[in-house]
Amino acid sequence: MAPEPPLLSMSGITKSFPGVRALDGVDLDVQAGEVHCLLGQNGAGKSTLIKVLAGAHQPDTGSIRWRGEEVTLRSPIAAMRLGIATIYQELDLVEHLSVAENVHLGHEPTAAGFVVRGRAARASTARLLKRLGHPEIEPARLVGQLSAAQQQIVSMARALSHDVRLIVMDEPSAALDPDEVDNLFRIVGDLTADGVAVVYISHRLEEIRRIGDRVTVLKDGRAVAGGLPAKSTPTREVVALMTGRNVEYVFPDRPASAPDGAPVLEVRGLTRRGEFEPLDLDVHPGEIVGLAGLVGSGRSEILETIYGARKADAGQVRVGGRALRSGSVRAAVRAGLGLAPEERKAQALLMLESVTRNVSVSSMSRFSRGGWIDRRSEAGAARAATRELSLRPDNPAVPVRTLSGGNQQKAVLARWLLRGCRVLLLDEPTRGVDVGARAELYAVIRRLADEGLAVLLVSSEVPEVLGLADRVLVLREGRVVHRAPARELDEHRVLDLVMEGSPAS
Amino acid sequence: MSHTTSRRGLLFGTAAVSATALLAGCTSNDSKDEKPAANDQSAADDKPGKHVTIGFAGPQADHGWLNAINDNAKSRAKKYSDVTLEITEGSNDTAAQIGQIETLINKKVDVLVVLPADGKALTQVGLKAMRAGIPVVNLDRIFNSPQAYRCWIGGDNYGMGLNAGTYIGEKLKGKSNAKVVELAGLDNLELTKQRTQGFDDALKNYPNIKKVARQAAEFTVESGQAKMAQLLQAQPKFDALWNHDDDQGVGALRAIEQAGRDDFLMVGGAGALSAFQAIKQDNGVLKATVLYPPTMAASAIDLARALGQSKGIGGLAEFEIPASLTLYSAVVDKDNVDQYMPTGFR
Amino acid sequence: MTQHASPPRDNTDKVPPVGQPPSWRGLFARADVRTLSLLGVLAALILIGGITKPDEFLDTRNLQLVLTQASVIGVVTVGMTFVITSGGIDLSVGAIVALASVWATTVATQDYGFAGVLFTAVIVGVGCGLVNGLLIAYGGMVPFIATLAMLASARGLALQITDGKTQIVTIGSILDLGERDAYVLGVPPLVIVFAVVTIIGWLILNRTTFGRRTVAVGGNAEAARLAGIDVRRQRLYLYLLSGLCCGIAAFLLIILSGSGQNTNGNLYELDAIAAAIIGGTLLSGGRGTITGSVLGVLIFTTITNIFALNNLQSDVQQIAKGAIIVAAVLVQRRTASST
Repeated sequence: MAPEPPLLSMSGITKSFPGVRALDGVDLDVQAGEVHCLLGQNGAGKSTLIKVLAGAHQPDTGSIRWRGEEVTLRSPIAAMRLGIATIYQELDLVEHLSVAENVHLGHEPTAAGFVVRGRAARASTARLLKRLGHPEIEPARLVGQLSAAQQQIVSMARALSHDVRLIVMDEPSAALDPDEVDNLFRIVGDLTADGVAVVYISHRLEEIRRIGDRVTVLKDGRAVAGGLPAKSTPTREVVALMTGRNVEYVFPDRPASAPDGAPVLEVRGLTRRGEFEPLDLDVHPGEIVGLAGLVGSGRSEILETIYGARKADAGQVRVGGRALRSGSVRAAVRAGLGLAPEERKAQALLMLESVTRNVSVSSMSRFSRGGWIDRRSEAGAARAATRELSLRPDNPAVPVRTLSGGNQQKAVLARWLLRGCRVLLLDEPTRGVDVGARAELYAVIRRLADEGLAVLLVSSEVPEVLGLADRVLVLREGRVVHRAPARELDEHRVLDLVMEGSPAS
Repeated sequence: MSHTTSRRGLLFGTAAVSATALLAGCTSNDSKDEKPAANDQSAADDKPGKHVTIGFAGPQADHGWLNAINDNAKSRAKKYSDVTLEITEGSNDTAAQIGQIETLINKKVDVLVVLPADGKALTQVGLKAMRAGIPVVNLDRIFNSPQAYRCWIGGDNYGMGLNAGTYIGEKLKGKSNAKVVELAGLDNLELTKQRTQGFDDALKNYPNIKKVARQAAEFTVESGQAKMAQLLQAQPKFDALWNHDDDQGVGALRAIEQAGRDDFLMVGGAGALSAFQAIKQDNGVLKATVLYPPTMAASAIDLARALGQSKGIGGLAEFEIPASLTLYSAVVDKDNVDQYMPTGFR
Repeated sequence: MTQHASPPRDNTDKVPPVGQPPSWRGLFARADVRTLSLLGVLAALILIGGITKPDEFLDTRNLQLVLTQASVIGVVTVGMTFVITSGGIDLSVGAIVALASVWATTVATQDYGFAGVLFTAVIVGVGCGLVNGLLIAYGGMVPFIATLAMLASARGLALQITDGKTQIVTIGSILDLGERDAYVLGVPPLVIVFAVVTIIGWLILNRTTFGRRTVAVGGNAEAARLAGIDVRRQRLYLYLLSGLCCGIAAFLLIILSGSGQNTNGNLYELDAIAAAIIGGTLLSGGRGTITGSVLGVLIFTTITNIFALNNLQSDVQQIAKGAIIVAAVLVQRRTASST
């Protein structure tokens, strides 16, 4: 590296929140034109660190040097003035404004100081979008009408609309399909070629291998390794640094024989126009059926329609031989269905409430007489259910928001376990779950199946579907293009099917 | 004799009605002798003359006194065969009231009677009417400019306070260290300040009397009860109370009754029927009330009619109707209550 | 660029180390701190009252007075607390109190005596709540708009019924309930009703499935729906409950003022919302506290009382009330975040 000072140098950054030390003396150096990857489990301090860098949080101690000079990032505006832009995982766009208005929010091109020059804004937005490889996004469209991937592009365009020298990207690939990820990497390459530095946060090691230059690993608010070569550091070593132990994706064994007897979940001709075509599907007790497909293939929509959260245009769902009323979640729950939705925090959990109350919410009538809740038996049952899933901490009275992603998922599973459900619908069960905690979750899911539950699993991570499910249905654009036992498939085959859709059967 | 507002048909079509329709049978406000009567002496002569269309615009009648204003205007107009009254839906919204008055101007009524929701804000539309050749009788709340009305008629808020204070002063004459308490009306209205000013000025003539407390209610029964209850707790002993408004006085009397207090005399304001009845019975603290007569609306109709017929008022030497008439805030007590009983409003 | 002031994600994902003292104690302590800070404010007020007007303020009659004045708005606030906890809002409470109080005091209703007045007040309240609930839960209307419409209609209907006149109550048994003779061991009947409503409200919110569903719907309506809760029915019940509280409050107001008037319940919606928020109920829903709401009401009533006893005028009262709302919320946020 050149002898000149690094573009950014953070040293000894600490930041505490009531009850938690989120950062504990973190150092981070970023050179101009490099892709610096930030790795760490949830809760390791990545988000807090980038918020300090974005000026959204003030560090308690520590110093930040920008091109060799000590700076104080008092506010996001101060950071932006220096040329630091942040693209958050939860996009902060205004849905009811147009693409161009979002891109120029806060620094609109104006005439006479206050008249917004809309045409100029749209023209410069169009240039930015073209540079980002997405000329098809209309600058005049409302952001709310765009897909998640497109919104991310808009967010990036906004960052580039400033004179930017450092871009922080917080899990930018999480909501993207493979070809979109390719485009993202091309953009990152262009940026670094121009001398812009990128701080890149991701869970996916393979991405870091592809585009990263150096890696800093955070654990429990400390930088346990800084500036490792991204391409050559062994995976095992990185994982070991992140988790403090050696972990691999371990999938539980499948039962020796396929389950026999009547299916507990039967789906016949289920359709929602524009989302997915008529679908037939059986799941037997003790069986895990996986749906593999890309974002937009209709996976989540299928689960939600089976569950009654969306009303079917046609077709039928039968549980234990009895048809469900379409469009009624309550009917589905009463029949024994349980859903662990994709967006846990938004769709499943009551974040202000304790684990107990999150677990018992679907079975309250079991602990109540005349509407009166017997809190002791409720707490006991919740404790039993969470123990069975080894939920940590072993104290269901803590607020559910203090749990890690994996344990939050277990709380959702415990809810349905307590309810005594017969069919579990799992939508991206390991989304936001640490690599280290996944194996345990896989084991839990398999054990529930072994105990007689029928599981319908949706995941965008092909290895997960292949490793966990007994049978796999491959989806492409709302249509099942292939059905096969999981052991007869491999990742490449599935990816081919998903992308090409060659109806090989 | 007119039955102005005895049995009210219910308004269907509001959201609330469907919920409460089962109770519709209970909503009628039947009462026997409900008729706001002005003194039956007319201003000009009662003989039919040239036909006059009078446009009347007032605020929303959400308060007993304002309601009496409407009733007085209506029944007075009905008395004359040569008068047609165009009355608008009352509104407290200045913009809405301006719109209503402009409609009346466009209809080319002969005379306008306006009780503005806000005198200052409606000055422009008064000017507009006058310029269109329609004389305006400004009722009570005065316009900003004398050009905006031909004649103003209204009550005397300062005089109300003055007369209430004088009445109390005379009653407590000779009593040393007498204490007086004031329950005022809505404090953000100018008229409340004027009433208090008059009351204070009157008390200056009686060095033996001291006003020890003042709280402002909101012309509502609920606020009258609440504020009076606090005043009674704050002042364990006092000799007289002036309450600005008989409507809130219903609540004040309730609080006095609940506190079991009867060791002072109370003077009310405005001239509600319930106050007159209590004064006549003479078994409670309320001994008198100072008028702010809603009959002014009837007089305003008389004035409007006379203006429309180009006549003067009887009893005055002038040919022309005066530019302004300030009504006297008479004190009604046991001695003269019978005379005023028919003018009491509910 | 907008920045979210949300708590840091890393922080919330943090798992407390195993072996830490049971956190329910921590939770409990936090709730307690909030309540304690409210009690502290109340104690400070009592101190101010006691110093400025020792004889008049520290007096049984004054205690009775303050509690009585708190009863009407207090009952309304209990209902409001449920609605806000569920993530809703009810702007129509004052108007419903007005409508119920005038409908229950018409000459025709009063012919049916005590029971007729009570029944009418409650039924009108519940009826208005039913309309609110149907519009919001099944009509898909935003609570703010639906209850704003109810506010306008109910006030209009109240004016229509009274014609702007004050309706005097002539039924002795109702009037007697507001007199000193009716006090039970020195406790006014209104205060007893307030206490009973508070206790029942607390039990429902904290000990029943209804309360749990209310919190769940307010905390995350989508999650509640996907957990199998009938969110719409729950919303309907909540506005019904608020309407019921308004009906009860209207009856208390009839007893207190001995009359019905269309101006009754003026700005109750704001007082009730302010009391609930000061008490610690989240305006965005998901957390509600009856204890806090009642303390909020008591704080407001005590302020009014102290001001009146010290003969301060309405302008000063209003300024101070605003300042106290801000101060109370700031103190709470500080105490809540420092633990």
